[in-house]
Amino acid sequence: MLKIFVQFRKPRTGILTFLIVSLCAAQAMALDGKAILQQVDKNLQPESYEMYRKLINIEPDGSQKEFVLYSVKKGQNKMVALFLSPASEKGRSTLRLDDNMWLYIPNVGKPIRITSLQSVVGGVFNNSDILRLDYSAEYEAVSVVEEGDEYLLELKAKSNSIAYDSLKMRVDKTAIVPTTIECFAASGMLIKTLYYKEPKDFGDGLNRPSVLETDSPLYKGYKSVMVYAKINKKELTDEVFSLNYLPRVDELR
Amino acid sequence: MSVNWLPTRIVLLFYSSICFFLLQGIAWSSEYKFDLDEFEKKSFDWGGYAELKWDRIDINQDGALARLNSYQDTRSSLDRISSILQLDGNLNKGIVDFNWLMQASAQQDQTAWGDSVDIFAAYASIKPTPMVTVDLGKKVFKWGKGYAWNPVGFIDRPKDLNNPEDSLEGYVGAGLDLIKSFSGPLQTVALTSVALPAWQEVNEDFGEINNINFAVKLYLLYWNTDIDFVLFSGNSRSKRYGVDFSRNVTTNFEIHAELAHIPDQMVRLLAADGSLATCEQPDTSYLLGFRYLTVNDITTIVEYYHNDDGYTSSESDHYYQLIRDAQVQFDSTGANTLFQKAAADNLNGYNKPQSGRNYLYAKVTQKEPFNLLYFTPGVTAITNLDDGSYSVSPEAVYTGFTNWEMRLRFSWLNGDYNSEYGEKTNTNRAEVRLRYFF
Repeated sequence: MLKIFVQFRKPRTGILTFLIVSLCAAQAMALDGKAILQQVDKNLQPESYEMYRKLINIEPDGSQKEFVLYSVKKGQNKMVALFLSPASEKGRSTLRLDDNMWLYIPNVGKPIRITSLQSVVGGVFNNSDILRLDYSAEYEAVSVVEEGDEYLLELKAKSNSIAYDSLKMRVDKTAIVPTTIECFAASGMLIKTLYYKEPKDFGDGLNRPSVLETDSPLYKGYKSVMVYAKINKKELTDEVFSLNYLPRVDELR
Repeated sequence: MSVNWLPTRIVLLFYSSICFFLLQGIAWSSEYKFDLDEFEKKSFDWGGYAELKWDRIDINQDGALARLNSYQDTRSSLDRISSILQLDGNLNKGIVDFNWLMQASAQQDQTAWGDSVDIFAAYASIKPTPMVTVDLGKKVFKWGKGYAWNPVGFIDRPKDLNNPEDSLEGYVGAGLDLIKSFSGPLQTVALTSVALPAWQEVNEDFGEINNINFAVKLYLLYWNTDIDFVLFSGNSRSKRYGVDFSRNVTTNFEIHAELAHIPDQMVRLLAADGSLATCEQPDTSYLLGFRYLTVNDITTIVEYYHNDDGYTSSESDHYYQLIRDAQVQFDSTGANTLFQKAAADNLNGYNKPQSGRNYLYAKVTQKEPFNLLYFTPGVTAITNLDDGSYSVSPEAVYTGFTNWEMRLRFSWLNGDYNSEYGEKTNTNRAEVRLRYFF
């Protein structure tokens, strides 16, 4: 009877084991994509920081226009950027809280709501590129495959309020930082491609690309570049990320 | 255009301003060069812009307001050249900041020269923590969510609808600003309170003098929606209440609204016999608007404004008739008493930029069409919905040269006899504006 029982149970145990192993493997695959994305975020920037960046718009004839921004970010959903240069843009600041964005222009004297697809500086970068939150806060990894020295992550926006519907992100396996990101609209149209370049030691254990280039089939011949000069950890109160504080952002420097 | 009257002083003011700043400022940078030392924070910082503008104005010689403004010197057109120098700055000493904004302007046309120097803002800000700010001095207030109008802007100066983003003069007062952030659906609460005196030579133009007025704004960011509750109390103007909100419905579609109620609004009305009477009435004004961005970067702002404080078509007719009677009196007798009366009534509200009751505003701009970087063409239309009169202003802005902004604009006004835009001073206006920021 016992023998019969054991014989009877054996095949069922095998099926169960197979199912459990398959589920675990599938879960491990999903977790890998999420874990890689979280590691990418961690390697690109501290959770709360201040940062100096220069944006360069390069036209097909080679002429350039430059903008310098000071930014602070806290957690996964709060960011502010202040234009320091050129004089025509100086004092403008943009605030992002989750998917809400506002623009403050000193002459206008009050913050106005703006959209993430809009560009406050012209060129290929839009607001969501300038006020980018963590990738893992906005996107889910739907697949990950290894291709040579890189992981290829397919990312899907967590909500339809994110500027790009999906991303194809290539991640350097050793440094776990992005090398190339293709940004797609919901229609599947390629909106732009981002290229992370020139790794640099920013101190405090932060070693990441210092240049982000982008081009777009929508802006043929044009190129925009973001150059990172300084990224420091910084403790910030939540009140810094509010409309009333926008005219005061320069005090944080 | 005759060059005899051309104001060389204005041109010299503009060019000497920008030459001085250009000599300090031009620095060519190579690709990807980023020297952070240039952007070190300074305790003293300043900037501003110099502007040169030329206007060609075609006078609406049949219009009531043209008759009122130039009955002694009728002309069909006017060329005007004007210049502005605006300076702003900040001096920081620990938790105290001193901020200022000044504007010097000059203009010349075939009839007159005018100039002025104004302090738009000069105030000290004391900021012991990020949550608290105390302001003392002359400061600009811009409350409300509307782009063209702000019914809840109880302590704002009225905007110039043709340039709603331009600087305005502030009022002298004392303010306290408190901010608190939370996690959850209520993300931010901010309370702004302002004490605004109206004394002789201090905010004299705000309202009845020898009073101290108070205005309070409570701001909430709740469920991703900006909400303001606004209250004004004081004897310079009657008590008023307001509420506004704005929210992004989608990533490219924003909606906003304002509602203001004044239980006892003082209104001056011109009767058919030409007498001016003052009465009190409840007044509820509101604004509904949206901002929409298309995939090809066309931004559309549309606002509907009900101005309960405005004049009905028949009330405006009395005013236009008074001016026509004044013209008859002047032509037949040479006396200008009726014109003087009309000018006085003008100051009492009949010549406010939007003196009617129902308006529609639409502004459409396209950023960088045809891959033309930094080029933004657009068109603005304002319609008085009660009399069907309107103005349409196409424009083009180019900002491709660092720190320079060039704008071309043409405005066309049209409307029937006794309509708002049909009786304005101009039929159309061409404008070229050049600004240099430093």
